[in-house]
Amino acid sequence: MMLAKELEEILGKENVSTRMSELYCYSFDASGVEGLPDFVVRPATTEQVADVVKLADMSNIPVVARGAGSGLCGGAVPVEGGIVLDMCSMDRVLDIDIDNLQITVESGVVHEKLNKALEPYGFFFPPDPGSTAMCTIGGLMANNGSGMRCVKYGTTRNYVLDLEVVMADGRIVHTGSKTLKTASGYDLTDLMVGSEGTLGIITKAVLKVHPLPHSRSVILSSFDNTTLAGKAVVKVLSSGIIPSACEILDSTAIKAVRRFDPSVELPDVGAILMIEVDGMENAVREEAALVGKACEELASAIKVAESGTESENLWKARRLVGAAISKIDVKRTRIYVGEDIGVPIKELPGMLEYVRSLSEEFDIHIMTYGHIGDGNLHTGMAIDMLSEEELESAHAVADRIYRRAISVGGTVSAEHGVGRARAMYMELEHPTSLEVMRQIKRALDPKGILNPGKMGL
Amino acid sequence: MLLAKGISKGMDVDESMIDSINTCTTCGLCEQMCPAGAKPTDVFEELRRDLVRMGKVKGSQLELYNNTLLTGNPLGEKRSGTSFILEQRDVPKVADYVYFVGCLGSYRFREDALRTYDLIRDVGVTVLSDEVCCGSPLLRTGFDADDLIRHNLEQIEKTGAHTIIASCAGCYNTFKNDYPDRFNVVHITEFLAEHMDELGLGRLDLTVTYHDPCHLGRANRIFDAPRKLIMAVCDLKEMKTNRENARCCGGGGGVRKGYPDLSASIAKKRIMDVPDGVDNIVTCCPLCRVNLEQASDVPVIDLLDLLYIAQKEVLKAV
Ligand SMILES: Cc1cc2nc3c(=O)[nH]c(=O)nc-3n(C[C@H](O)[C@H](O)[C@H](O)COP(=O)(O)OP(=O)(O)OC[C@H]3O[C@@H](n4cnc5c(N)ncnc54)[C@H](O)[C@@H]3O)c2cc1C
Ligand code: SF4
Ligand code: SF4
Repeated sequence: MMLAKELEEILGKENVSTRMSELYCYSFDASGVEGLPDFVVRPATTEQVADVVKLADMSNIPVVARGAGSGLCGGAVPVEGGIVLDMCSMDRVLDIDIDNLQITVESGVVHEKLNKALEPYGFFFPPDPGSTAMCTIGGLMANNGSGMRCVKYGTTRNYVLDLEVVMADGRIVHTGSKTLKTASGYDLTDLMVGSEGTLGIITKAVLKVHPLPHSRSVILSSFDNTTLAGKAVVKVLSSGIIPSACEILDSTAIKAVRRFDPSVELPDVGAILMIEVDGMENAVREEAALVGKACEELASAIKVAESGTESENLWKARRLVGAAISKIDVKRTRIYVGEDIGVPIKELPGMLEYVRSLSEEFDIHIMTYGHIGDGNLHTGMAIDMLSEEELESAHAVADRIYRRAISVGGTVSAEHGVGRARAMYMELEHPTSLEVMRQIKRALDPKGILNPGKMGL
Repeated sequence: MLLAKGISKGMDVDESMIDSINTCTTCGLCEQMCPAGAKPTDVFEELRRDLVRMGKVKGSQLELYNNTLLTGNPLGEKRSGTSFILEQRDVPKVADYVYFVGCLGSYRFREDALRTYDLIRDVGVTVLSDEVCCGSPLLRTGFDADDLIRHNLEQIEKTGAHTIIASCAGCYNTFKNDYPDRFNVVHITEFLAEHMDELGLGRLDLTVTYHDPCHLGRANRIFDAPRKLIMAVCDLKEMKTNRENARCCGGGGGVRKGYPDLSASIAKKRIMDVPDGVDNIVTCCPLCRVNLEQASDVPVIDLLDLLYIAQKEVLKAV
């Protein structure tokens, strides 16, 4: 308990938890991975983070950064115990510098709050995760998360200019610059983004912002099945349009959306595509017509959302579809395995067909939804948690999905990260580069105290 | 919720867990918000029953339990039930309706209870001669309330009534959902909204806001009746969160009794939802009223009080 005392000295008694009731609540994230921390601390400054990391370094004890714990791969779960750094108290927007197209934030700022702060200036931070109301910018950067708008705007990585990071020995470093581009030195900013808390603790970030589009329009196309919808995506994207969002919902996902919000009117079909275009009004109108044309031959119906409110409601429901699936059958709970694959666009129809065949082979219901415009698919299974058999089937299905994604040149994680849940596929996906990643990890964190047990490192 | 998982897997229960589990007001806001359809309120109530079975209870909980067993009310007041009404009014023994006064009405707000009775007595309303607590505080904190329920049921049967009228949101919820389904249960606001024309209400030069009691609104979907009554007598300006999304007053689930500081800070947060320029906060649950009162500069009144003033306004005009 010496360590508890020292932590209390750094952070104040009220910011150190050792009570079981609190520790236990930090032993999960939104995935099924579990691991109990020894301490949970809530730093408010970079210096406090640095002091905690120095102490951990001296005591040789793991340190795991945690944002909102909305991660879906066990990234924030202390699988080897140690200190959890709850970053949520570092939640200040420090500077909004529109002239330089950037904003400076602490890493615990919640995504939605960031966009609320930018809205009055007519700007936004484009990566748009479904978890906007809860996830932190730190978590989003550490996972290189993205969301619905990345088909046009890219992922979080594309918006990070500079980071303040506490390294494994407690040093505080800056990784980038305030310029919109730089060719100077190794890109440590890019190295930190997506490193899932294994290379350093991000305390502050300078982020590039983007002007809000003048107008947006959502085109809803219905299809008899997901394969046809996949083919339509290939057609839309190859016709030269870059939608600002392109989402697929299969029939189960449609049902979940309707259960979640009965006022959202979605057709009862095999699959729908929700394609959004944005920009100047005239261009949006023209592009919406082109999207309709590209889908025409394959779709059974095409409809343009009537109003801004109608599209906002559609997106709101879409954001929570992953959780809403549990509402369809009270005995079944959504589990996050076998999700988040990414495949090359052209492979989409084949992948969707494969998922459908697995569903038949294992007699298990697989919901498919996701940011299909960038090849990212979420395959959600809702199972009876008390049935060993169903759990086993779900894992077998997940394994087949991951392997297939890798075999067609894809990835096991397009945006949710590897964490613990997908660590066992790193060797398969990165046969030549995983060792390089391990060398980087050893160089920057020789004692292996930063988020150990993750990413197959 | 996570603790529930841990405890169900056999995790040792320590004091901090009991606190964590006991600090839920059972307001149901989380259930309303959860996209997955989780029901934390049910989980907590079940978990509290488990803890009671394991003997893991706090002093304040035990006090509540002992008070109710000994005196028939959780406040520990000498048992007098509805005698204050029976003594002052001519109450029929047998009637179609029973007005269930509730413990706060019987021991804290007698004036209000008398007014409530006066408002409705013309339709043929009686009260229970030996009313005891409906059982809500015990049920919400993990104890069983079988004896109380049995006692009240016997009393109700003696009156021959087909309908119970409850004026407290907690009593209403308990009669509606925990008592056997042998009679109709209505909340006083539903009853009055239906008989509004007979009440002789005048119009008041007031703007008020309305706090939805969780156990009336979210739990039982009674949103419109109170609003209809308020709008009949004055202007209504809604709170920032209202109806199914209304924040809790912080008083329910045994939290006011067991964790007064927490309860007060939840009340403070709720008061932040009050819009500018209102004369009163109106609610129709005595527990919400007392809990909000401690945190509010704007006077908190019961809807029945508002109606009473509106009736007097008419009398003045005559
Ligand atoms: C309903 C729902 C919808 C979702 N939708 C999307 C979506 O559309 N797109 C998407 O990309 N993700 C989505 N997610 C996943 C999740 O929200 C993201 O991965 C998010 O970025 C995690 O943020 P967090 O703050 O919750 O981080 P946590 O879960 O707390 O942590 C995630 C990882 O980041 C690390 N970390 C956290 N903070 C720091 C820091 N300051 N420094 C260093 N490392 C840190 C942790 O150690 C961990 O490895 C969704 C999740 C849910 C529950
Ligand atoms: S206090 Fe209300 S919102 Fe909080 S857990 Fe209890 S029921 Fe849910
Ligand atoms: S809102 Fe529902 S799905 Fe989300 S964490 Fe709470 S219980 Fe779980």
